[in-house]
Amino acid sequence: MKHLKQIAIILVLFLAFQVNAQEAKKTFSISGSMGVTYEGYGLNSIPGPPSTPPFYNARKPWNLVRYSFNPTFMIGKWEIPMNLNFSPMLNNFTTPSGTKQSLWQFLTNPANNFGLRLKNGKTEWLLGTQNLKYSDLSTGDLGIFGYGVNLAPGKFRIKLFKGVSQSPINYEAPSLPNPAGVIGAYQRNQWMAQIGLEKEGVYFTGFNFVKSIDKRSSVIAPPLTPIDPQENMIVTFLTNTTSENGWKFNLELGQSFHTLNLNTPLSTTPVADFKPFLTAHTSTNKDNAVIAGIAKKGSDWELGTKFKYFGAGYFTAGYPFMKNDLIDYLIDTRFNIWKKKMNVVGSFGERFGNLSRTAGPDRTKQLIANVNIFTQFTDRFSLNASFNNFGYSAPDLSGYKSVSNELSLNPSYTWSNTKMSNMISATYTKSLYDETIIFVTTHNNTQTAMLLYVPTFFNKKVSPDFSVMWFKNTAPSIDLTLVTASTGMTWEVSKKFKFKSQLQYNISTMLPFTANKNLMATAGYDWKLQKKLSWQFTMTANVFHFGSEIPGNTLTPIYMGNPQYFETTMRTGLLYKF
Amino acid sequence: MKKYNFIIIIGFVLMTAFVQSQITLNLALNSHPQPWLSQWANPINGQMIISYSYGVSQGDALVKLRTTLMDESGNSIGTSNPNAARIISLKLGVNLFTMADALQLQNLSLSGKVLGTLQRTGRLAAGQYQLMVEIMNVKGDIVLAHQTHPFFITSYQLPILMYPPDGAKLDAKIAQSLITFRWTGLIPNNAEPPTYRVQVFEVLQGQTPMQAFRGNRPLLDEPALHGMTQYIWHTNLSMIDTIINQKFIWTVQTLDMEGQPIPSNDMTIQGRSEPAIFTIINQNKAINKKNED
Repeated sequence: MKHLKQIAIILVLFLAFQVNAQEAKKTFSISGSMGVTYEGYGLNSIPGPPSTPPFYNARKPWNLVRYSFNPTFMIGKWEIPMNLNFSPMLNNFTTPSGTKQSLWQFLTNPANNFGLRLKNGKTEWLLGTQNLKYSDLSTGDLGIFGYGVNLAPGKFRIKLFKGVSQSPINYEAPSLPNPAGVIGAYQRNQWMAQIGLEKEGVYFTGFNFVKSIDKRSSVIAPPLTPIDPQENMIVTFLTNTTSENGWKFNLELGQSFHTLNLNTPLSTTPVADFKPFLTAHTSTNKDNAVIAGIAKKGSDWELGTKFKYFGAGYFTAGYPFMKNDLIDYLIDTRFNIWKKKMNVVGSFGERFGNLSRTAGPDRTKQLIANVNIFTQFTDRFSLNASFNNFGYSAPDLSGYKSVSNELSLNPSYTWSNTKMSNMISATYTKSLYDETIIFVTTHNNTQTAMLLYVPTFFNKKVSPDFSVMWFKNTAPSIDLTLVTASTGMTWEVSKKFKFKSQLQYNISTMLPFTANKNLMATAGYDWKLQKKLSWQFTMTANVFHFGSEIPGNTLTPIYMGNPQYFETTMRTGLLYKF
Repeated sequence: MKKYNFIIIIGFVLMTAFVQSQITLNLALNSHPQPWLSQWANPINGQMIISYSYGVSQGDALVKLRTTLMDESGNSIGTSNPNAARIISLKLGVNLFTMADALQLQNLSLSGKVLGTLQRTGRLAAGQYQLMVEIMNVKGDIVLAHQTHPFFITSYQLPILMYPPDGAKLDAKIAQSLITFRWTGLIPNNAEPPTYRVQVFEVLQGQTPMQAFRGNRPLLDEPALHGMTQYIWHTNLSMIDTIINQKFIWTVQTLDMEGQPIPSNDMTIQGRSEPAIFTIINQNKAINKKNED
């Protein structure tokens, strides 16, 4: 709540300042959009509860409302874009949430955005939720609720921000009516700063500093081990340049200090303190990371290479899921040939993991190679061909290895007359995926074929499309075939009203079982109620009949017949642009 | 003479009692403790039990510990400094300590590669080790009891998401029927294959992918067939609209036999692999737009 008060004070000060600015300039404008969306979900299973085991679970919340308010105010010299996008409902899954949320938890819930920026020339004040990415090795891709400033005096660039990236959530033991309990979380405070020099479009060079710490006093009932309070400090040096003749270069060097558990004893073994930012514990470690890249761009071609090294102990609170302990390089290119009728995009790279040998005695190796060739043979005929190869091996006692080769061909042919144009497109993909575990190799092959026909009538307001698809997957204990037929239609009833619909029928057979059958129907419209107000509505119904893949006699009580479910999704939204 | 013999026998019995039963040490160390040495205070790693019974002198005993970490062959890779060791006051009876007390990480001098790995990762390289603990008098010149216990260190590397790769664009006509997910296996391979749960989140309008990942309920949260590193998702989602089901973020959560996240080198301790994003492209929508242009 301390952060909330600080933000409120800063907001009041700036609003007062804005009023003065407004008086001086007497100009005011507002543009942007606001809206509300509602999604309702329904599921009816036959047999329904109390049949066990449940053979199909609800995959969406029953009700979901989201509000958005994204105006940009222009007040004199001030430009104030706002980003309010939130839901009053709790649907957190990967982050904990209690059964109820306080105002502070609501504001700092990662599902919500409450952010605004106050821009005046090159000075920018940041308040509320911000997604700040100073660089690839530092601040990260998380929304942080707080306050900060971006300054750009001359060539100097100074950015400062303080905020919260994780709400405090009390631990709750499993009990009725919440048998799962709540795992809890500490509030994570984050500070970040960037100091550098920049000439826009030419170069930037500077340092990033990011510190995060879990506030142990933020919860009354702290989460249980292994969710321990952590601390992290990152320092990176970043530089990038772009030359007039098409060269690009970037380099970032980073060092992280990470304390896995603040409850462990203070100690300068194994890592010394990093004063004044971090006092070391026995669970503190430090490691380095490097990112570098160089590329050259020509008129019709581009060639570049990227290099990355993340030490096994390189952690950043901004990218909590980032994989480390690896080194990789990637070479990519793009060029046009044959009078610009053929476009080639390709890349090749290797990645080596487990450099620290903490997950076995050997390094892992990953290979990525892909090429995509698009050729416009004539005005009517084009062909897209792509080949992808992914390989991964861990040459230790487990002998794990996987290799995937995928070839895809996609020819398209169009023809037209004075009344209509036609497009027919086919896609065929063959994927061979071999996996070796403890020296036993399994072959997993997949084929996909699809045919799409799209007629477009010049004098009619109806645009239909038709497609059929065949899919086959074979692997040990798997022989799956799926056939889909689908048709869609867009009908522009008037300039203000557009109707959309789709019908799809699926038959999927997993041998030796009998087929599952599925019918999905969708209808909806976009309605421009007024010049600035539009209403979108979509309704989908999905009926799924299981074959013997889930025989009724495996359910309790025994069900004489094939289980089925009926699922509906309704999404509607009002959008006002101003 | 008989009198002297009796006194000698009594003295011998008392000496034996002092030497053999005054302090006994039992290292009840988990044979596969947590790879992070700093976390050895957790009860899951075991306990050090020191029993102290009456000897010649009564009352509390003051002792110090000397810890030696050895590799598979018994070569020392780290030793604690007895001079800097904490003085422990043993009460009569059973004294319980955590394995962190036995390890004395803050007082352990490691060298070379082992020290480098510990500084960088907080862990030891995968392999077999031995922990030797000696109970010494305060001066550090007499070993009162000692025990050596072998243990294995194993860290896991979570699967890498292979397909759809990060940033992939999938055809709506195929994706609205099915999407195939593939990933690499857990490294090193476990004796009991782990459970892989595939989790897919829709990125709603106005959200960043990571925001959807952290704040939304997943559209799909299903286990793959046991031991398989592939999941074919029968999506049955309408993708005709421009605002619904257009962008997704997915991951694989790796769980052990008890359904708990595999302890790996990730700071979230959730067993979730680095997520990847894929978007849906609609061929006929692009064609209609082209015709309109």
